[in-house]
Amino acid sequence: MASKGKTATLLGLRHLTLMVIAFIMLVPFYWVIKTAITNENIYAYPPRLLPQNPHLFNFVDVWYLIPFPRYLLNSIIVSTIAVIGNVVFNAMAGYALTRQFAGRNMVLALFLSCMLIPFQATIIPAYLITAKLGLLNTYVGLALPMLSTIVCIFVFKAAFEAVPRSLIDAARLDGLSEWRIILRVLMPLSKPAIATNVILTFIWSWNNFLWPLLITRDPLMQTLPLGLARFLSYMEDTTGALYAFAVMVLAPSILVFLMAQKEFIRGLTSGATKG
Amino acid sequence: MGVSSNWWGRQRNRQLTLIVCFLLPSLIIFFLYRLLPLGWNVILSFQSWSPLRPAEWIGFEHYAEMWEYDDVFWIALKNTLIFIAASPLAIAAALGVALLVNSDLKGASVYRTIVFLSYPLMAIAVGIIWRWMYDERGGIINYALRSSGLIDKPIGFLQDFDWALPSVIFAEVWQILGFYMIILLTGLQSIPQNLYEAARIDGAPAWARFWRITLPMLRPSLFLCVVVGILNSFSSFDLVYIMTNGGPGHATELLITHIYKAGFVQTKFDYAAALTVVQFALLVGLTFVANKAAGGNAGAVERD
Amino acid sequence: MNHWWTSRWFIVPALMLVSVLGWLGYVSQHDNGLIEGRVIDAGGQPVPGATIRIFDRGFVTYQERGRTQADAQGRFRITDNKSHSVQLEAETEALGRSERYELRLWFAAQDAQLPEPLRFKAKP
Repeated sequence: MASKGKTATLLGLRHLTLMVIAFIMLVPFYWVIKTAITNENIYAYPPRLLPQNPHLFNFVDVWYLIPFPRYLLNSIIVSTIAVIGNVVFNAMAGYALTRQFAGRNMVLALFLSCMLIPFQATIIPAYLITAKLGLLNTYVGLALPMLSTIVCIFVFKAAFEAVPRSLIDAARLDGLSEWRIILRVLMPLSKPAIATNVILTFIWSWNNFLWPLLITRDPLMQTLPLGLARFLSYMEDTTGALYAFAVMVLAPSILVFLMAQKEFIRGLTSGATKG
Repeated sequence: MGVSSNWWGRQRNRQLTLIVCFLLPSLIIFFLYRLLPLGWNVILSFQSWSPLRPAEWIGFEHYAEMWEYDDVFWIALKNTLIFIAASPLAIAAALGVALLVNSDLKGASVYRTIVFLSYPLMAIAVGIIWRWMYDERGGIINYALRSSGLIDKPIGFLQDFDWALPSVIFAEVWQILGFYMIILLTGLQSIPQNLYEAARIDGAPAWARFWRITLPMLRPSLFLCVVVGILNSFSSFDLVYIMTNGGPGHATELLITHIYKAGFVQTKFDYAAALTVVQFALLVGLTFVANKAAGGNAGAVERD
Repeated sequence: MNHWWTSRWFIVPALMLVSVLGWLGYVSQHDNGLIEGRVIDAGGQPVPGATIRIFDRGFVTYQERGRTQADAQGRFRITDNKSHSVQLEAETEALGRSERYELRLWFAAQDAQLPEPLRFKAKP
């Protein structure tokens, strides 16, 4: 019975530690939301722990005073292009990798080695290449480096390989072309892979800051992260408008993440580093 | 006979063409934005080039300039190494959290979600949040420290030469902790339970079970976390840019911010390319060392 | 039952779409730019004929956008407000200027009624 007491204390200790950790992780969220809804001078010391007279009008201000709708639209367009391109190209490449052909190992090695090249190590030539292609300051140029990720290619490859060969052979006997086989047989059975690809690409392209920073010239083509960074240097006033902006920018990411947590985690653990 | 072998030949050709077509878009993207840039960086680093003049081969001049005259490079290098050195601490902390959460503890998934929530967020927004938390007047950190009596004047975390880099690193750890935790959790859950059973029967105490079973079996996950930690010193550009932009006076300058400023603020593309080559070499070198430390082969574990 | 319409991938976007459409519908009904209010002096008496000035919010400052007159009962009506955040101020020869009243709306040109009357500080 002494051991039972000990287990109970251990359990309590575990919960306590986890709660402390969870508290530390959540404090920044609370602090920024509280600042976004306060109605007073946020720089007054001591800062109140609870907002007095909270109001939501800072969010309305952010919507009208800065081009938030425009930035939102740009981010949505770029992310959509990136996601669609990504799913299509990765599925194609993943399918090609399930077939045996000469040089397959070389291609595999090539892809794996590309994983070790982080995006930030390529920014200067990537900028010059995009400039040569004439795609600076365009939606396509913004989405172009993100149109294929190696992690997702392998996710598709694994998903396609898990489909029983009998189905594929039956489809081939029925005379379906390769495209049809992918579309009609493999993709419907690989919905988790598609979901993983969509969520990974969406989050990566939504949060991307460095690439739009280099590529956009026109303030109207900026995406949300860029708009947020610009706003920081505009407005150092005493209201919570900047933090309302931050909350509005974070809300879609949090919503998408909560909705697609499982797929996101699966995508990360099947290859980890950002393609 | 002749006809059917031709047909097979044509089929195989058609299949090969199809496979090449399928691989082509991805290959083009990777070629344009990964491989070509890598090579071009190297070439550019040996040239003197600007958008207005044609290129001239100057050999190692950029590297010599970097070695002898560029003080910022050395500061940035030191900061980047400090940044990377902080990741083992973060990984250890994440391992602790993963161990705590790895069970059918009631609400384990809630804790996991809370810890992981910070990872999918935009680094710019995270930087703004932490900048505000570190603020001398309105920030909660100074408020908590002052009202609990630990300090009596506010600390300018992001303005002080000594506090700036640790503050940025702390914010970065806050964001990446969930990611490490997920990787380690997946690794923990793939350790076969019968190993623990056997050890318990043999009478091994808990810490021995940890050292002899858990840690070795986690080698691949730990290696992955270390590599991500190294790569993070590249991708933390967003956070540093928005929190301090390398300041105060280069105290938080990382190699990546130095590259950005050299390339896109001073438009010295060739010099920035040389810096990139150095940073990439550092990355590859450190990964190689980590691989050796993990026992080679990316820490993969031999299973009997 | 695993119908496609019970999955979270459908329900969440559908709910969002419905709320957005509902909000847009509400906005389109109520965005005539109408602001109504009253002016009273320090003693609580209505101030007929006062000039009401309306200021639109710019990025940092407020700019005057228009004027209107209060009627015999001290009531006034502004019909062409296009902004989401305005300030109102009343003025007469006798009493000078009233306090500036800040009115923040939920969307641009929202129809609104001042919850409290504009108040002059000075007594007549």
